[in-house]
Amino acid sequence: MAAAIETRELVKDYRSPLKEPGLWGGVKSLFHREYKDTRAVDGVSFRIDEGELVGFLGPNGAGKTTTLKMLSGLLTPTSGRATALGFTPWNREPSFQRSISLVMGQRSQLWWEIPAYETLRLNQAIYGLSEAEFRSHLDELVDLLELREHLFVPVKKLSLGQRMRAELAAALLHRPRLLLLDEPTIGLDVVMQKKVREFIKAYNARYGATIMLTSHNMTDVVELCRRVIVIDKGRILYDGSLDRLVESHADYKILRARFSKAVDATGLETIGKIVKIGAFDVTLEIPRARMAAGATALLSSYPVADLNVEDVAIDDIIRRLFTRS
Amino acid sequence: MKKYLIAYSIALQETLQRRSTLIMDRLGGFAVVISLYSFWIALIGDKSSFLGYSRSEMLTYVLLLNILRSFVFAGRGWQLVGEISSGRISSYLVRPISYHGYALSLDLAQKSVHLVSAILEVSLLAALVRGQLFIPADPATWLLFTASVVVSSLLFFFLEFLVSSLAFWTSESGGPLFCFELFLQFAAGAFFPLDVLPEGLRRALEITPFPYMVYFPIRLFLQKITPAQALHLLTLETAWLFAVAAAALFVWRRGVRSYAAEGG
Repeated sequence: MAAAIETRELVKDYRSPLKEPGLWGGVKSLFHREYKDTRAVDGVSFRIDEGELVGFLGPNGAGKTTTLKMLSGLLTPTSGRATALGFTPWNREPSFQRSISLVMGQRSQLWWEIPAYETLRLNQAIYGLSEAEFRSHLDELVDLLELREHLFVPVKKLSLGQRMRAELAAALLHRPRLLLLDEPTIGLDVVMQKKVREFIKAYNARYGATIMLTSHNMTDVVELCRRVIVIDKGRILYDGSLDRLVESHADYKILRARFSKAVDATGLETIGKIVKIGAFDVTLEIPRARMAAGATALLSSYPVADLNVEDVAIDDIIRRLFTRS
Repeated sequence: MKKYLIAYSIALQETLQRRSTLIMDRLGGFAVVISLYSFWIALIGDKSSFLGYSRSEMLTYVLLLNILRSFVFAGRGWQLVGEISSGRISSYLVRPISYHGYALSLDLAQKSVHLVSAILEVSLLAALVRGQLFIPADPATWLLFTASVVVSSLLFFFLEFLVSSLAFWTSESGGPLFCFELFLQFAAGAFFPLDVLPEGLRRALEITPFPYMVYFPIRLFLQKITPAQALHLLTLETAWLFAVAAAALFVWRRGVRSYAAEGG
């Protein structure tokens, strides 16, 4: 399969002026400024095939957004190479720009005072869509995003969720083959998050578009991405399937038990690692291989009223991955 | 081309949508015109002319001033500064559109609205004071005047673009833009005819591009300069336009590169 994105040893340094504190520092900085170089992305290499939907995970400042900005052509890397859809993004060729879209959850391209429909019209002209293309693309987006009645209301009157969906419509009107989404569900309520997720999934399935998304919301990642790239301090910590990440980094499961009577905690630690304990309940971490034995031991020695075995939450796995790094 | 027409139409809608801002803007401009007018009338007093301007020429200067300020100086430099500092500019840089063309479309929308509004105000004021206006009969004067206003507007656009682009390097480029706009109005003759200034200062200003923007077109309109002089000055103004546009494009490209290098 053809690569939609390929990066080789991408590095990005930011230069920021250092400012001494206080008024005097401010005056001094007028004449002499010192700079500090911060490495935001530190030798990142990966390949994404056409049609893949990949999650890009990492804590704040890990280099996710910087990478997306380089792939969209907004930033020039300090060193390294990248191609996206066969183009070098930062050359900003119009034919490249017509095939991609970058959506940043915290930034808007919509005109604030007037209805979103006008921005869509502008994008129609910017991307050179015919009237027929405009109509058909818009109709589909409006259906998928349940946007019809919101298109003709000034953007400032829309709720955050409505605005985000209008934002997606504006970003996808030209049917980009490559979609870079930075925190697409940020600030949305659960219902809206779900709608946006369903939309992203549907867009990927329907057009075979390549999608790369960053999110702090693990539900986004679990529901959308089979493959994840985990990055921290500018370096890739993990690149592979989400399932394998869970298996290899969570060799234990979580057992939660509720008791019918108050129990004495002594002895519980022989079954597993105690995460949380109360008089009537306990949460234990038990290695996968010993789970059956552990559950049996608990059932035979304690007055168990209810018992639950769960996989480790993906958030926890990621957090562990970061602390280990 | 169509994208710029649509940008123009959207910007037009948006300007009209922000009715209260527009009205405040216009009221402010109108107040300036009225105070200038009263000031000059007081200065002229019983005399038939002042600094070489007759009463009707002075009235025409002040009214034309309102139109030119509204047209030549209508722009969106502040928006550009805001978009650069907030990073909103990113959304244009990833789309296949020229930001200059886009910004010019937006400026033109602003200019259209302000021009119409200024003409209405000026007509109202002219009717109120019932003064004699100086209207040139010669079509060549009108032609040269129109040409100079078009060049002035473009000159203003690129000058403002140049100054606003400083936002790529400093987070406080609102300051330079503000100073620039004030100085521009003074040096362009938008507060008073430059004849008021001491000879030396006036001559110094005349070697800058600023007087071409208001002072020159009005003098042209009032036929204070001969057509031959006007043509000569128009050529100089056009040369300024090319120089400033080249500088603005150069700085912009540098700015985008440093934006791309430093992050937005």
